Amino acid sequence: MAKTKEVPSQEYETMEMGKFYFLNNNFAEAVAQFESVLKINPANAEAYYNIGLIKESANKIEEAKAMYLQALSIKKDYKIASEKLNNLMGIEKDE
Amino acid sequence: MKNKQFAVIGLGTFGYSVAVELASKGMQVLAIDNDEEIIDKISGSVTQAFVLDATDEKAVKDAGVADCDTVIIAIGGNIETSILSTLIVKDLGVNNVIVKCTSKWHLKVVAKLGASRVIYPEFEMAQKLVDGIINPNILEQIEISKGYNLVEIVAPQKYWGKPLKDTGIRSEYDINVIAIKRRQPFINDEGQNDIKDEMIVNPSADREINQNDILIVIGHQKSIEKMKNI
Repeated sequence: MAKTKEVPSQEYETMEMGKFYFLNNNFAEAVAQFESVLKINPANAEAYYNIGLIKESANKIEEAKAMYLQALSIKKDYKIASEKLNNLMGIEKDE
Repeated sequence: MKNKQFAVIGLGTFGYSVAVELASKGMQVLAIDNDEEIIDKISGSVTQAFVLDATDEKAVKDAGVADCDTVIIAIGGNIETSILSTLIVKDLGVNNVIVKCTSKWHLKVVAKLGASRVIYPEFEMAQKLVDGIINPNILEQIEISKGYNLVEIVAPQKYWGKPLKDTGIRSEYDINVIAIKRRQPFINDEGQNDIKDEMIVNPSADREINQNDILIVIGHQKSIEKMKNI
């Protein structure tokens, strides 16, 4: 029998765990959770974006850019990822 | 207070940006270039814009350059024009003349002509880029006096979890931490995860340094060099 729609998917639950750790400053565990999300669904742009945020927080700018680029390659209209990438590349918002 | 008056001579990328930025901050800006197209483009953004030859003393005088508090000469392509223009502006009695230079010789000549400040953006940017590549932990560096810098530096791992008083930054390196920039995760108005900078200005000795903190410090260049290598 097929699962009912109300049951949260493993991808969703893992993503929520990642967000929980992120908001509680536990960045190492948050990255582990977001990477688990990507193992379940390699096309999860939000997971790439969140890892990018954590890399940026740790001043790992090149790694952060790579993550934002990955997010944008999956979701072309990902506004906040685009803003973060532009910001790291020194591109003004209105240019 | 009356707004200061500026003239920008030479409206290439640099001069154009300087003129527009000054005007956007409410300053009176007189923009000069010999290219009619550029003058047409900038005329809506500055107080006055004139097409004229910057080596024509009478034309420069008639444009009102002598009444300006500061003149920025941003002629990049032709050193001779830049030097002549500097001479003319100085002869008109303008005290504060800032000249953009394209080589060290250019810089030496205009300094001898009495330019108050000479800038060499390409060289300065190259230096900054190299510093950033060689020292990725130093995010920003401003020389405030010879040998003394104000620096934004990623907190060394050795200090993570320690209060400032136990790090020895002050006692061992004679460096003062004037602020800590801390990245704080939050959920933005659109419900997405985001990070924002929290500035802890004048941190107390008991303030703990966290992983990912950025320290804004002031000290001698040599001391900062030592600290960044720990």
